[in-house]
Amino acid sequence: MLRKLTPYLFVAPLMIFIAVFTYIPILTSLNLSVRQWNFLTPDMPFVGLRNYEELFASAEFWNSLWVTTVFAVLSVPLRLGAALAIANWLVRETLASRLLRGALFLPSVTSTVSIAVVFSWVFSTDYGMMNAVLGWLGLGRPQWLQDPHLALWVLIVVNTWKQIGYDIVIYIAGLQAIPQELYDAAAVDGGRRLHVFRRVTMPLVMPTTYFLLVISVIEAFQVFTIVNVMTKGGPAGATDMLVNLLYEIGFVLFDIGRGSALAVILFILLVALAILKSRIIGRKVHYEA
Amino acid sequence: MKPENPIVAMLSLAAGLLFMWPVLYSVWMSLQTADAFYAGKLAFTLDNYERAITQFNFARYLLNSLIVSGLVTVLGITVATLAAFAFARFTFRGGDLLFGATVATLMIPSHISLIPNYLTLAKVGLLDTYAGLILPAISNGFAAFFLRQYIRGIPKALDEAAYMDGASPLTVLWRIIVPLSKPAIASMALYIFITEWNNYIWPLVAVGRQDLYTLQIGLARLYKINPGEGLVDWPLVMAASTITILPVLAGFLLVERHLVRGITMGAVK
Repeated sequence: MLRKLTPYLFVAPLMIFIAVFTYIPILTSLNLSVRQWNFLTPDMPFVGLRNYEELFASAEFWNSLWVTTVFAVLSVPLRLGAALAIANWLVRETLASRLLRGALFLPSVTSTVSIAVVFSWVFSTDYGMMNAVLGWLGLGRPQWLQDPHLALWVLIVVNTWKQIGYDIVIYIAGLQAIPQELYDAAAVDGGRRLHVFRRVTMPLVMPTTYFLLVISVIEAFQVFTIVNVMTKGGPAGATDMLVNLLYEIGFVLFDIGRGSALAVILFILLVALAILKSRIIGRKVHYEA
Repeated sequence: MKPENPIVAMLSLAAGLLFMWPVLYSVWMSLQTADAFYAGKLAFTLDNYERAITQFNFARYLLNSLIVSGLVTVLGITVATLAAFAFARFTFRGGDLLFGATVATLMIPSHISLIPNYLTLAKVGLLDTYAGLILPAISNGFAAFFLRQYIRGIPKALDEAAYMDGASPLTVLWRIIVPLSKPAIASMALYIFITEWNNYIWPLVAVGRQDLYTLQIGLARLYKINPGEGLVDWPLVMAASTITILPVLAGFLLVERHLVRGITMGAVK
């Protein structure tokens, strides 16, 4: 009897935490998203889909979705292209490439708040590093984070700086899995470097690229810390990404119903992407076998 | 390792320095007086660190971060190891379903539980406590998944020999599995610690009392209380930022290769 119970006892603590803090909250969010509540009133009346309708009718929701999509569409290809080029170079086992790999990976374990603060200085108008450099070159003095046309680009640069080391590490692992014989064969055929890169490397790291593509898009849809610290969604909503809007609605305006509705929409979007990801990983395993 | 062409090596070094420049320069800045920094001169001091630690409470924030991340790591790794052992070694009714539910948490974005967890903890009076910061962070599906895969690679004959000698499952876990899984447990512990150390959105909503701020919250607040562009006390803020970065950076540099290997295994498999 006790033997039969053993595995359940071992998994119980994890399951309790997962249930209380991950699965039940999904149901709670669904429930709250059809109610009106602001933390203070004693009851939370059922309002049907009104919170969703309000969201879909509001300019800020569409602005957020647009800003987030632009962020993802601009930043992800840029980042992955750069990461693949760098990884292709750093895949060689030399001391210098080891060290450089380490340096490039450091930001992905560094505090995002610190990074946001440091880059707020880099892009500050009066004392920042960026404008000091531009000043030397005589190229003007943009107000990076106060300029609605530039602020999102600054966030893209910061996010790229933080994440690219991870992409490079994953790409290097992918590149190392390509059999050396293929490169040898291409060399025998007299393939030029760029040609070999396009005909051998690119197709064979495609599964890695798909994987990184999807997780980067998922991650782009969850960007919050750099927005909250650097711009608070401004200027004029130019960097108001979805999780920032969720935070503002839920924890600044205390509109729990509408905040939950937004959380549910974002959840559906991200789970769809995540399912796409697991399909891709499944394809990759098949591909290798 | 192949010998490196010295020119390429120098260029790599320069590229690495350029990449790290903002952070390196922020540390440099933190060692200067505000007057000298704004006047474009050089005058070194440790005063910024002293002010951050005493006047702006960063000693307390550091302690809070250590307590919260430390406890999340110990509890998280314990809970994950117990479950991983059962998933790897026992076949039991519902086991596959529970394992599936564990892995599926990797796909669930954390923001969906933000408002509900806030309400749950408010209901039991745990907002503004260490427990409120720690409890929602304990379950880690990735660690459980990773450790289960690792434990499956350990020969089962070792367990069986111990059971023959009358050992209990807990003894087998503690005496055989845990010692043999040390590298995997260590890299997952570090992963959990770093993730929790850098956690921002949850402490932001769960804590209002200043004496419970973690370093991330303290740093963000210190930066934001500065009234506006041009008036920020950058050297002070950079000292606080350096305090926030350093502990994790030091830990990471000690075990970089383990962690990177762990992360790659998780992603590429």
